[in-house]
Amino acid sequence: MTPSTSLQIRQSITESLPGAEVVVTAGSPGHVSISVSAEEFRDKTKLACQRLVYKAIAPLLSGERPLVHAVDRLETRAP
Amino acid sequence: MDDSTRQQIEGAVRSNDVVLFMKGTPQAPRCGFSATVAGILDELVGEYKTVDVLADGKVREGIKEYSDWPTIPQLYVKGEFVGGCDLVREMYESGELHEALGLSIEPAPAPKVMVSAPAAEALAEALAEAKSQEPNTAHYIRIEIDGDFQHALSLSPKQPRDIEVPLGPLTLLLDRASARRAEGLSIGYVQGPEGSAFKLENPNEPPRVKSIDVKTLKSLMLQDPKLELLDVRSEDERNQAKIEGSKLLDRDTQKHILGLDKSTPLYFHCHHGQRSQQAAAFFLSHGFQNVHNVSGGIDAWSLEVDPKVPRY
Repeated sequence: MTPSTSLQIRQSITESLPGAEVVVTAGSPGHVSISVSAEEFRDKTKLACQRLVYKAIAPLLSGERPLVHAVDRLETRAP
Repeated sequence: MDDSTRQQIEGAVRSNDVVLFMKGTPQAPRCGFSATVAGILDELVGEYKTVDVLADGKVREGIKEYSDWPTIPQLYVKGEFVGGCDLVREMYESGELHEALGLSIEPAPAPKVMVSAPAAEALAEALAEAKSQEPNTAHYIRIEIDGDFQHALSLSPKQPRDIEVPLGPLTLLLDRASARRAEGLSIGYVQGPEGSAFKLENPNEPPRVKSIDVKTLKSLMLQDPKLELLDVRSEDERNQAKIEGSKLLDRDTQKHILGLDKSTPLYFHCHHGQRSQQAAAFFLSHGFQNVHNVSGGIDAWSLEVDPKVPRY
């Protein structure tokens, strides 16, 4: 994964969730782990939180040759 | 998604209690994430319906739209979307998945945890303070241990499915996943340069590169002149500045080190601590259990230990 991929992931997430703190860790090629801390997650279920993140990065995961093949770990928490 | 695809997906979701949309089959999964979820379901429920999305491109795209979820696998229980691999694994570990599947959870054994007398005293003090601030909430000590063995110690109320470990007059709470990682955990309380802090030692933690500061390194070097301090920089850099007692990590040295007993403590340094972290990780992956990275590298050494070593 190139640095620009993590940057794109971070940007996509912070565009949807302004103020979110995002840490992207590269795994094997095309695999990433993402950790997001955002106020929007407060009092939401894990599923709802993950939905918010996946919605934000869905374009990066879709298409014939997606930039991101898989999210190994997705951690969401409220600050 | 066309109507027939939607009907096909809806049919599968409606007419089965447990449906897994996956790549491949449980017997021959075509992706690690699908294999993980299938493995969990194999353990928890005898029979479940699977849909191989690789067999039908329309279903593969359709299920993403249907669930509004961009990845495979996807698990449905009683018509409800549960999540992907990450969430299923987490719910399995916490016991929530058992609950969603209508299974009873076997009580998890309480791990053995040791607490030192000073730590017990500090914890009791923290609890007393929490009680004085919120007299109506019952606080307990909670330890969370995630998959990377990051430990978090906090005070919190009891949660369903928590596992209780009595520690003398105190009660420690752990969620099921943390409890599985906590056997033999010890809680200490140590005085450091920046005040006192809890120190958790977990024998289940896989070895990792430990970070060491230059002052601690200096005192260790005085105690043990044969300490293995390895300089991972280039020869050019070494000619500009070096730490007395260190060795250049060239091919011969590397060969020599790899032949040492795996419990030998190793210390790695570079200019600022980045390259040496990688070198340290390399030796860790070769089975060395006591591997250290000198944080700040030789630059920190010049600043904090020996100003005669030139900075560059």
